[in-house]
Amino acid sequence: MESLHFPQFDPQISQVSIALFTKVSNAGALKLRIIAAATAEGQAGDVEREAVNFAFIDARLITSKLHLETAVCQALLAASQDALRTRTVHSEVLYNLNPTHNITEAIRRYGVSDANTDVIVVRIDSPELTPEAVLKKMEAVVVGTLSPFSDLENITDWASIKKYHKLNGELAITEAAKDPQKEHAVIDKIVTSSVAMKSVMS
Amino acid sequence: MATTSASMRLISSSTLISQGAEAKVYKGYLTPSGSAVLLKYRFKKTYRHPSLDTTLTKARVAGEARALLKCLRSGVNVPGIRMVDASEGLLGIEWIEGKSVKYLLPSGADDGDGEGEVPVESPSQTLEHFGISVDTLMNLIGIEIAKMHLADIIHGDLTTSNMMVRDPASFTSLDPKVPTELVLIDFGLSYHSTLVEDKAVDLYVLERAFASTHPDSEPMFAGMLAAYEKQVGKEWSALRRRLDEVRLRGRKRSMVG
Repeated sequence: MESLHFPQFDPQISQVSIALFTKVSNAGALKLRIIAAATAEGQAGDVEREAVNFAFIDARLITSKLHLETAVCQALLAASQDALRTRTVHSEVLYNLNPTHNITEAIRRYGVSDANTDVIVVRIDSPELTPEAVLKKMEAVVVGTLSPFSDLENITDWASIKKYHKLNGELAITEAAKDPQKEHAVIDKIVTSSVAMKSVMS
Repeated sequence: MATTSASMRLISSSTLISQGAEAKVYKGYLTPSGSAVLLKYRFKKTYRHPSLDTTLTKARVAGEARALLKCLRSGVNVPGIRMVDASEGLLGIEWIEGKSVKYLLPSGADDGDGEGEVPVESPSQTLEHFGISVDTLMNLIGIEIAKMHLADIIHGDLTTSNMMVRDPASFTSLDPKVPTELVLIDFGLSYHSTLVEDKAVDLYVLERAFASTHPDSEPMFAGMLAAYEKQVGKEWSALRRRLDEVRLRGRKRSMVG
């Protein structure tokens, strides 16, 4: 798990923990649990919501750590300005990753689903919540193997990313098509920049 | 500080690099453990009506970010975008380690920022460090501008200080022949246009910039144009004719009649 600190934001959203889980077996159940938690009532509801208070992201659609960090940073910025487009700062990360303004589509594409075996879990909180405590909470809900972020390079599904971002046929991609390494670098750069400028996308 | 928004706090923890009439440029970090970003802050202009100022600033930050993304998608080498806060007028882009073309070409160097009279390196030595000759550099510039014009983006302020060459020491080139990369920067005055006129004026502005900053610039500019010609293809004959016209009359068209 990696911890990032964003000192420019208010303490309650300044600490970000990111973990990659592979061989995840309960992705489908996790999705149902998140949906159920959203409408659960009373004190039990609050407890359940806290248990799944993370952003669960399909790791196949993430091109690099910078890509994810950029989405988190823009979500924090929106939260700090009371300009969230979605209900929570965690769902805002999913929204930022998707190139369109459709929230349902963003959650369907970038959130967890039955077919997921590789999941990135993100928790945005204050530095008072220690990394050990966050990891414990993550491991309590995800059944899988905690893996180093460098494993992402074997997980990324470049074809789907090209489709979602409408990159097929773009000059930058056709130019680099012969060399997969170069193509991946170009896609990563475009996708990361798209996430960063989503708020002013035409 | 009166304002305590996240973007203002980010700026106050960053280092000022330079300031112009429109914006201040800083080097900063979005997160202390991450890599550097360049922050371009379009500060509030008190000489404008506040609501006009907000609208203009927002539109310009958005315009610059869109131009950068369009370039990226069209395969033009430009810095990647890292953050956008249009309401505060802040644009964060990739920090590029390297030198401007102005610095690398004869007698364009040294803006007098404290280096004193002692020339540290001669320009040719510096170009050597980047592993390219002047001819190769002109070739790279021509190709990049041509790619940008093919995407119908007009830079609006082409000068040798708005082009950077990446330092091979901190950049792994994917092209075995060229160890570096030419990057176009500052899209603050850029716009979209398909007109031959606008592209010709863009080239003319660069020609004048070359002539006023570097001695014996003609062969260099000619070399750049040759590479540009090769890259743009069939549009070239119309462009060449229009460039000759613009050279005779200057950047502005006569609006008489």
